[in-house]
Parts: sequence; C-alpha cells; structure tokens
Amino acid sequence: MNHSPSARTEPTVAEKVFTFVDERVGLKLLAAKMLNEAVPGGSRWAYVFGSILLFIFIMQSITGVLLMFYYVPTADHAYASTQYILHDVDYGWFLLSYHFWGSSAMVVCVFAHMSQVFLWGAYKKPRELIWLVGLVLFGLVMAFGFTGYLLPWDQRAYWATTVGVEIVDKMPLLGDFIARFLKGGPTPGQMTLSRFFVIHVMVLPAALIALAGLHLFLFRCAGPAGPFRGTPTELKAKTDYFFPRQIWKDVVGMAVVFACTSALAFWEPVVLLEEATPDPGDYHPEPEWYFLFIFQHLRLRMFSGEFGQFLGSMAFPGALGIMLLLLPFFDRNPERNIFRRPFALIGWVVLTVSILLFTVSAIINREFLD
Amino acid sequence: MQPQLKSRVHCADREVGEVSKIIMDPLSHEVSHLVVSMNGTGERQVPMGAVQMVAEGLIQLQSSSSEVQGFPLFKRDDYVTLHEVEIPGLERHLHVTPGEVLVPFPELERNVKRRTFFANLTYVVGLFIGLPLVFPVLKFLMKPMYAPLDNGWLKIGNIEKVKTDDVGVQFEYKRKVKEAYLPEAEIEKNVWLVRATPPVLEKVYQGKDMEFRDAAGKTIWTNKKDLPYLAFSGKCPHLGCAYKWRKHKVLGQVFLCPCHLSIYDASGQVLDGPAPRPLDLLPIQVSPNGDVRIIDMEFKAGTKSQTRIV
Repeated sequence: MNHSPSARTEPTVAEKVFTFVDERVGLKLLAAKMLNEAVPGGSRWAYVFGSILLFIFIMQSITGVLLMFYYVPTADHAYASTQYILHDVDYGWFLLSYHFWGSSAMVVCVFAHMSQVFLWGAYKKPRELIWLVGLVLFGLVMAFGFTGYLLPWDQRAYWATTVGVEIVDKMPLLGDFIARFLKGGPTPGQMTLSRFFVIHVMVLPAALIALAGLHLFLFRCAGPAGPFRGTPTELKAKTDYFFPRQIWKDVVGMAVVFACTSALAFWEPVVLLEEATPDPGDYHPEPEWYFLFIFQHLRLRMFSGEFGQFLGSMAFPGALGIMLLLLPFFDRNPERNIFRRPFALIGWVVLTVSILLFTVSAIINREFLD
Repeated sequence: MQPQLKSRVHCADREVGEVSKIIMDPLSHEVSHLVVSMNGTGERQVPMGAVQMVAEGLIQLQSSSSEVQGFPLFKRDDYVTLHEVEIPGLERHLHVTPGEVLVPFPELERNVKRRTFFANLTYVVGLFIGLPLVFPVLKFLMKPMYAPLDNGWLKIGNIEKVKTDDVGVQFEYKRKVKEAYLPEAEIEKNVWLVRATPPVLEKVYQGKDMEFRDAAGKTIWTNKKDLPYLAFSGKCPHLGCAYKWRKHKVLGQVFLCPCHLSIYDASGQVLDGPAPRPLDLLPIQVSPNGDVRIIDMEFKAGTKSQTRIV
C-alpha cells in the first residue's frame, strides 16, 4: 500500500462531490459570477445595508417559523399561546423578542438604505427600476410591521390595528371595502386575526422574496453606482470585487446588527399587556414606534375634520409616495453629488427632521397623558 | 469598427502576427488593448492608442516592428475571462467574435405559420383559466365583510351608578358575539352615560326628538328630548380609539381621546382636536327600576356624517 501524501493525485471525497456537482451545474463559474462583481471605487462600509437587510429578513423568517410551532392564530388562543411562548417554552422569550426587535432593526436599516440611495443619487438612470422595486419592498416591510403587530392579540395589538385600519378606511372610493376586507367584517375580531396572520406569514414573505430577488437581479443588471466623486481613472484604481473586501464589511455589519438585536431582546424582552378587547381600560392606544410620527401628525389641528383627516392620512402620505415613485423620472439631471443637488438635500433633511420631531413629540405627549 | 480576433497585424514596415485576445476596459466598456501573437515568439500587449486603422481582418499599427517588440509581454495571470466575472453591460459592447456561431434550425420549425397566433393563444387559455376564478375567489374572501346590523336591546347596568349631573360615567358591559364557525364568545365593550341638565340636553337635541332609522328608513327607536340620560358609543368618531372622561387644564371636565387628542364636552360636542363630528348618541331606555338598555351601535369613524357599521 502506498501511504505517501496523495492529496495532489487522489482527490478527497469532498473534492469528488464538489467536482461531481461542478461538472453538472458549473458551481465554480456560478460562485465566480456571484463573488467577482466589480465595485467601482472600491468596497465601503457605506454599502453594507443591502446585505444587512437580507440578513435581517433571513433571521425574521427563521424566528418567525419557530414561533409558529406554538402560536395559534385564533381570538381565544392567540394571547394564551403567545404568553406560553414567552413564559413556558425554553428560550421562547428570546426568539419572540428577537423577532420583535428584528422588525425595528429592519425599519432602521431600510431607512438607512433608502436615504443612502437617495443621497448618493443612485436611483438615477440606469437604476430607476431598482429604486421602484425598492419602494415596493419598503411598503412590504411596513406591512409586515403592521400585520405582525396584531398577532399577540393584546390590547396594544388590538388598538394599533383598530386605528390603523380606520386610516386605511379614509382612502377615497375603495377605503371602506379595503378596511372591511382587512378586518373581515365591520370590527376587528377573529376574521381580522386570521387575515393578518395569513398576510403576515404567507402573502408578504412570498411577495418579499420575489421582489427582493427582482431587486437584486436589476441591481446586477445595472451594477453598483459607486461613489459620486472621482474620475474614471481614480475609480478604476480603487475598484475591487464584491468578495472578499465588501463581503467582509457586510459580515461585520450583520454581526453588529445581530449583537444589537440580541442585546435588545435580552434586556428589553417583549411584555404583553392585557388580552385584546374593545374596552381598553386605562391603556392609551399607540402604534409601534416607527409609526408614531404618522400617529402624531394626525393630532395636528390642520388635519382636523373630515377633509383635514383625508389630507393627513391619505393625501400627504400618498403624495409623498407618488413623488418618491416618480423621482427618478422627473429628476433627470445626471449629477449625483448630493452637495450639488440642493433640493434633494433639503428635501431629505426636512423629511428626516420632521419624522424625528413628530416621533419625539409623540413620546413627550405620553407623559402629558398619564 | 472594433478589432476582430485573428485579424492580421501589420506594422509600418511588415506584418508581425495576429490578434489572439482582446482586453476590455471594465468602466468605459471599450477595447483598451490588443494581445498580438508575434508569429510564435510570445504575445505582446498593444494599447489601442498605437492602432492606426482597423479593417476587416486587418489591424494597421502606427509603430514599426521594432517598436512593437518593445511593448510589454502579455501576462495571462493579470486577467480573467468575461465568463468568470460580472461586469454589467460589457457583453453588449463587445463585437470581437471572429464569426457567427451557428446551430441548425430544426426541420419541424421551418415552415410554421401563425406563430403570433399560437403565442396569443397561450394568453387566451390563461384568461379562460383565470377569469372564471375571479368572482368565486372574491366572494370567498368577502364572506364575513358585511354582517347584518343588530337592533336588539342590551342591558348595560343600573342608572344608580350615575351620581352627578353632566359628568361622563363609563358603563362596561359584555356582549355576546358569534363569529363564523366559532363558539359564541363574549367581548367587553363600553359606553359613556351622562345625566344631562336641560342646557346640555338642549345642546344635544335642539328641541327635537332624535330618531334612529335602519337602512330602509324605518324608525327603530326615538330618543325623547326630555329623557335626561345620554348614551355615547365608546368609540371616538375621529379614528375609533376609546376616549375617557378626564380633567383638562383649561376646559375643565371633558371627554378626551388619548390617541389624537380630540376633546368633547358633556353633550358630546367637539371642543378641540381633530374629530370631524360630535360623539355618537345611542338609542337608550331607562326602565322604572333603573335598568339601562341600549342598542349597541357603532359608526364609521372619521366622517362628518354618521354611517352605521355595527
């Protein structure tokens, strides 16, 4: 028997398996195609948010599927089964709290990702379609937050849904139909829970997976936009591939998000209020923090009365949405440098500051109410 | 015209070899260098700047053959092929193939007419499958959306609970609901009662009895203008939150909704905040022994006029 080192001549079993698969599907080529994506101007920490969002979605899927092992989406069991997950199932409190804080992480990173694309002017030609699909994905993320909020079936859940659906009801023509469609009746109840559940665990994930795939495909078609400064020669000199430098940065970003979400889940685990009922007792209804600014701005005097309410809950948010959708089509100036796009910069600052102000004032208002 | 592979390369003095590879610039998507196979004596890398003219199968260089010998040797390890890297759009700029690559066109496909017809037929078949499903699916999903209204009277407590005039008193009660296939369940609800003094009553009824009608316009009940008890639906007419009877710094004792800060007086009129209409009055009966009964109604929030939904 020849026991001399045979690594070069005789492949190991793993290598044979790899070769077998590679011959049939072109694994090496596929990996090369996936990893050797040129990043003009080089990898940057600023580019980590897209990958982080994918990571958060995967974690939400895993924790969400685990929660469904115990959760029961019925009006008489949803609350009890959620309490069971929190108090009896081993590590249930952690998985549920991770899922809860994961949604916040998602919203924060979506905001960062969108802001960045906006400020870098990366939505401009030829990347208009990536921006459009991205906006739909943003809507899906918010819908995830809204539908998931009802599922624990506590007072907070019930009232956030009650008010949220009333806002949908303000939509012209279709509002009443959509509100009843979501509620499965005139008031929130079992049908609402069933509908929100199936939307949260089936409809939205399917839509998100499909559209995130399309988002990535479109991104690969157009390629990364790169920095808005620098001559082609400078950019080329700094260009590297997606792997390894950018992936390394992405992975660090994911680890940071994982650590933060875990820490929040650990130190601020989910605590349910009383079981849902149309009588809130002493509870002051409020939506999740990332909807607080909408909640607060509807308190403004200018949005009082039927027409004011239409303005506040439909016309303003709708106009903002349409403006964002049309943005790459009316902003045809190829200039990407944000410091030479004063309107874009001012617009972003005004929107961000007002979201912050409304959120903070909603929080201050809490104390005034107690 | 882009340089072609296998083109002969001519210098000012003589032919030096043929184009063996082409190097693209990944940013500009243009050809940046030619790799010239020097008739068996190695490959050299020639910048496009040195090219004087590109013709069919021929590259004319400005340099002499000795200058070409001075260009750097081509180092294969410094490059990857197009297949191994993703540079979006580069392929579309590339016309270096030496000729067409062909596969035979199948015999059966050669004389097929009506290709457009067949393509459209697939859409038609799709519609035949999809269209008949639209209505059943819609009806399937809409089943619970429009529940009939219930005009039954519900006992919610005894009027003894109300001690002071013109003050909101919350009556909490349980209501049985039967949703779809589910067993009958009880949900907790609440209404606010006010024992109103004549000025407040006047504000509410303005000298007229209040009639409640069903969708067909038939009178269900009439609240007499002289009955001093008012029952308000517990749902805020702004966006459907639950309001409370609270002390306000400036306005005194008021109904206040903690959600969007709508404020109402004891007669339900809007004092402040975004609410579009006063609190919703419900049909009320007070029996001689003090039992309070109401018809449990809910109205669509956020509209100036009342639209009953429960």
